[in-house]
Amino acid sequence: MNRKAHASILALIFVALIFLTGCGSLSSTPAPTETITATSGTPQSATVGTAFAAPLVATVTQGGSGVSGVVVTFTAPATGASGTFAGGTNTETDTTNASGVATSSAFTADAIVGGPYTVAATVANVSTLANFSLTNTAAVVSSSNYSFYLSGLAAINDVEGPNFYALAGSVAIDVNGNVVSGEQDYNDAFGNTSPGEPTTADVITGGTLTVSGTTGQGTLTLTTNNPKVGVGGVETLGVQFVNNNHALIVQFDGSATSSGSLDLQNLTGTHSGGFAFTLAGVDPRYYSVVYGGVFSLSSGTVSGVYDVDDFGAEVTPILGTAFTGTTSEPDSYGRGTVTGTGIAGTLVYYNVGPEAIRLIDVDTTDSAVGSAFGQGTSAGKFSATSLGTSVFGVASNSFGDNYAEAGQFTTTPASGTFSGIGDDDEILDGVGVVSGSTISGTYSIASNGYGNLTIAIGDLGSVSVLGLYLTDPTLNLNDPNNTTSGLGGALVADLDGYTLNGTGVLTPQTDTNTVDFTGNYAFGAQQYNYDDFWEFDFVGQGSVSSPDGVLTLTGTGLVSDPGSFFTGDIAANTGATFSGTPLPDSNENSTGRYTLLSTNPLAVTVVGGSPVDFNVVIYQVSGGQLFWLEEDSSSVFLGPLEQQGSLTGLPAAKRAAAKSAKPKQKQ
Amino acid sequence: MCRRGEPFLVTIRKVFRPNGNSESKLNMGQVMKRLFAWLCGLALLSLTSPQLPVQAQTAAVATGTAGPFSYDVTQEVTLNGTVSSVLTKPAAGMIMGSHLLLATISGPVDASLGRFGLRGKGAVSVAAGEQIEVTGVMKTIKNQQVFLARTVKAGGQVYTIRNEHGFPVSPQARERASQKTAGEGL
Repeated sequence: MNRKAHASILALIFVALIFLTGCGSLSSTPAPTETITATSGTPQSATVGTAFAAPLVATVTQGGSGVSGVVVTFTAPATGASGTFAGGTNTETDTTNASGVATSSAFTADAIVGGPYTVAATVANVSTLANFSLTNTAAVVSSSNYSFYLSGLAAINDVEGPNFYALAGSVAIDVNGNVVSGEQDYNDAFGNTSPGEPTTADVITGGTLTVSGTTGQGTLTLTTNNPKVGVGGVETLGVQFVNNNHALIVQFDGSATSSGSLDLQNLTGTHSGGFAFTLAGVDPRYYSVVYGGVFSLSSGTVSGVYDVDDFGAEVTPILGTAFTGTTSEPDSYGRGTVTGTGIAGTLVYYNVGPEAIRLIDVDTTDSAVGSAFGQGTSAGKFSATSLGTSVFGVASNSFGDNYAEAGQFTTTPASGTFSGIGDDDEILDGVGVVSGSTISGTYSIASNGYGNLTIAIGDLGSVSVLGLYLTDPTLNLNDPNNTTSGLGGALVADLDGYTLNGTGVLTPQTDTNTVDFTGNYAFGAQQYNYDDFWEFDFVGQGSVSSPDGVLTLTGTGLVSDPGSFFTGDIAANTGATFSGTPLPDSNENSTGRYTLLSTNPLAVTVVGGSPVDFNVVIYQVSGGQLFWLEEDSSSVFLGPLEQQGSLTGLPAAKRAAAKSAKPKQKQ
Repeated sequence: MCRRGEPFLVTIRKVFRPNGNSESKLNMGQVMKRLFAWLCGLALLSLTSPQLPVQAQTAAVATGTAGPFSYDVTQEVTLNGTVSSVLTKPAAGMIMGSHLLLATISGPVDASLGRFGLRGKGAVSVAAGEQIEVTGVMKTIKNQQVFLARTVKAGGQVYTIRNEHGFPVSPQARERASQKTAGEGL
C-alpha cells in the first residue's frame, strides 16, 4: 500500500471512530434503568396472627414501562414484629407480570405486637428498593366487668393494731384472664383512704386472674396506682367461683384479710324505684356501726328511712330517720357517688346490675361497706305476708362485738308472729354459744319493705332486735346475677344497741330435703377469734356426697390468715383441706339444720399444719344455698355454701391448673 | 372519774353534754331545768321534721337484751388494789382479752381489760406489785366474778378501757378521742 492510500485509510478509521464515539455522546440514548416501587399494600395493619388485608404489590418499570419477567424479592424482618408469607417464611420471590407488577402471597402478621416495620421489595442489580410499612396490632379480646367488695382487718397501716377496712371496685378482665383496667375505693378510716377521695378512685392498671376451670378456684391480682394498698400497690384476692358470674373472695396477700363477693356487672339500664340497703363499718370515733334502711331512687335523688346502731354514739340504736340524697351519674365502671344522706359524707356506689349495688363510705374518718338491692315490682306492696319460712345469717363486722347468728323460722302473718330455731355465738361479751335454741317473737313489715323482727329476749343470747329491709322476690342476695334460685328475702341489720350490731341476709327457705344437699359447692366464711389479729377468712370448693346415707363434705380452699391462727407463719394458705360429716337434726325436714359438733366437727387443715376442729351448724335454704356458722367459745364464723353451676365460661380458665400458687409468707 | 354515789350525775352529764369536758356537776334543779328545755326542743323538732314514710318500725329506741356484758354505768364502783398479775392473754376459764389480777382488801379480783386494754398507744402500763385504782362494774359471767374495768388509774395516769356503755375502747378510738375529731357524716 502506498503512503497516500495508507493515510486515507487511517483518516477513514479516525473519522469512523470520531463518529462512533463523538457523535454517540452527542446524539444517541442508552437503555433506561429499571426501578421498583411499592404500588399497593402499604401502609396497612393487621391483628397479630392474622393476614393483612391486601397483598404487597411492587411494580418494576424501565423507562416508564413495566418490565415483565423480573424477579422481585420481598423480605420482612427476621425477628420482632413481622410476619410470614404463604410459604411460612419471612421472605419470598415473585416475578413481574406483563405490566411489571409483582404480587406477594398473603402476608400474615406474627404474634408480636409492634410496628410500623418495613417489608422491603428488591430486584437484583437495582440499587433502589420499595418499602412496605406494616403494623401488627394487638388482638381485640373481649372483656367483662366485675364488681367486687370486701371488708375485714388490715395489717397494713398497723399503727394502733389492725384496722377495719373496706374495699370496693370494678375490674375489667378479658377472656385470657388479663386485668385490662378498673378502679377501686379503699378505706380504713385511719389514714389509709384512697388518696383521691371523695372525687377520684384508685386506678387499677393491670393484673391477672388465674383460675382453675375445674374447681373455679384461683387468685386475682390487681395492680393499682395506690402504693398503700396490698403489697406495694398490688392486691391479691383469693377467688372461688360459684358460677361464671359470681365468686366468693378473700384478700389473700398478707396485707389484710377480708371476705366479700365478685360479681359480673351488667352496666346497661338505669336504676330507679325502691331499694333496701345495709352498711357496716366504723364511725368517726372508730366504734362499730351498722345501718339499714329502704329508699326510693328517681332522677338522681334518693329519699328514704334508715336505722343505725352505733357503739360510739351517745344513744343507740336510732330507728326510722328520714333521709334524702343526691346521686351522680355512673362512670364506665358503674361507679358514682351518693351525697347528702347524713349516713356518710360521700358514699361511692358500684352498679352490679339494675337491682344490685355495692356501697362504700369513702370519708377519711369513717368507713363502711354494704349493698343495696332493688325491690322490683314489690316496692310499695310489701306486707306481713311477704315474709314466710326463712333462714337468716347475721354477723358483726370485724371491729364489732364479734359474734354471728343463724337460724330458721316460720311465720304466721295474720298475727305477725314467728317461731323457729336459732344459733348464736358471742365470743366477746360473755354470752358465748347458744346452740339450737327455740326462738319466737313478733315481726312487722310496712308497705315500703321497712320492717322489724323481734326475738323474745333470752331466746337467742343477746340477739333480739333485727331490722328487716325487704327486697325483690326475684333477686338472689348472695348471687345477684342468679335469677333462678335462692330468690327473695331481706337485708337484715342487728340493732341490739350497745350489746350487738351486725348485718346479714334473710332468705326464703324452699327446700330442706337432705338429698338435695349434695353435689359440688363453693363455700367461704369470715372468722373471728381471740388472737391479737383476730380474723381469718377462707374460700373453698368441694363436694357433699351421701354414701350410705351419711352426708360427707370434703373440700380444698384458700385460707387468708395474717394473724397465724393456724400453725405456721403463712398468711396465705393454698391447699387447705376441709372435711366433715354434717348430721341432720332429727327434725331437719322442718328446720333445715345440720350439725358438725363435738364428735363430728369440721376439720380444717392447712398445708404443713395439724387439723383444727370447728364446731359448726348449717342451715339449708335450699339445695343450692346454705349458711354455716361456727359456734366455738373463743371463735366464730359465718359464711355461705353455694352449689356450683357451670364454670365453662370462666375467664382465664385456660391458665388453669398450670399455676399452683406458692404459699406467701406473712407480711 | 366516776365514783360510787354519783352515777345519776354521770348519766345526765353524758346525755346533755356529750362533747363537754367540764367536770362541774349540776344540782338536781339545774338538771330538771335543762331536761325540760331539752324535751321542749325535741318536741319542737319533731313538729318541724319531715314526715317519715310509712314504716313498721317504731322510732323509739329499742333495747337489746341484758347480756352478761351489758354495762350499767350506774352500777360502777371503784376498787383499789395491788396488781398481782398482768395477763395479756386470758388464762383458762377467763373471758376473752387481757386481765389484771388484783389483790384488794376484799380479796382477789379478776379485772377484765378487754381486747385492747394492754395494746397499742395509750395502753395500760402497769406491772405486778403496783398499786392501782380501777372503776367498773362487777359481773358474774359463766359462774365467775369478773370486774369489767372502764377506767384504770395507775402511776398517776387514767386509762380509759371501756366507754360509758361498756364497749372496749380500741387504740384507734383512743387516738380519735385524743384528737378530739370533729366527726363527719356518720
